Amino acid sequence: MHCGKYIKSQTVKLCIVVLHIDGIRSPLASRCYSHAKVETDEEFDARWVTYFSKPDIDAWELKKGMNTLIGYDLVPEAKILDSALRACRRLNDLASAIRILEAVKDKSGPHKDIYPYLIQELQPTLIELGISTPEDLGMDKL
Amino acid sequence: MSLAKPAMRGLLGKRLRFHLPIAFALSLVAAAAFKYGVTEPRKQAYADFYKQYDATKEFNNMRDAGVFESVRPTGE
Repeated sequence: MHCGKYIKSQTVKLCIVVLHIDGIRSPLASRCYSHAKVETDEEFDARWVTYFSKPDIDAWELKKGMNTLIGYDLVPEAKILDSALRACRRLNDLASAIRILEAVKDKSGPHKDIYPYLIQELQPTLIELGISTPEDLGMDKL
Repeated sequence: MSLAKPAMRGLLGKRLRFHLPIAFALSLVAAAAFKYGVTEPRKQAYADFYKQYDATKEFNNMRDAGVFESVRPTGE
């Protein structure tokens, strides 16, 4: 990953990843001047699946994990969400499970194709755990 | 019919990489347009006005109009 110096005016200098049309992304936490090894997407996903898979996860850790995850510039993968929903099940927290689905829809922003895709991928989990979607409950029309 | 996996990462970054340069460029254009459309003509108008300005003549006109308290019009 290399950085391009992007000079917009005499006094403002932004250091951003060189613009490519098919989209080179900067990973979540990397600085142009840092030599740290950059975490791959798979490592990132695995880390979060592991976080939510902790058998004795507590309510605080669930909330903290979800809030941190939502802060990133990405929509979480289905496997991370699956792990989080199962954590909600262990904590008997249906409200948080449905809230996670709402949050994912919100994170998608203008990209309306992400949420239906994720619901499709999570369908087996939703059925197994008995989680209703916000749409099922009419909560998206409030 | 199952849905294809959409792009899910870096969506904000992509949006900013697209819109921020445009925003900066448009801001610079707006500033330049204001400078050359408003402030430069205004400065030129002042310069033109004062190029042929006779301060003494204007003073005497104002004095004779009776607007000063420190001097009375000529001839009083």
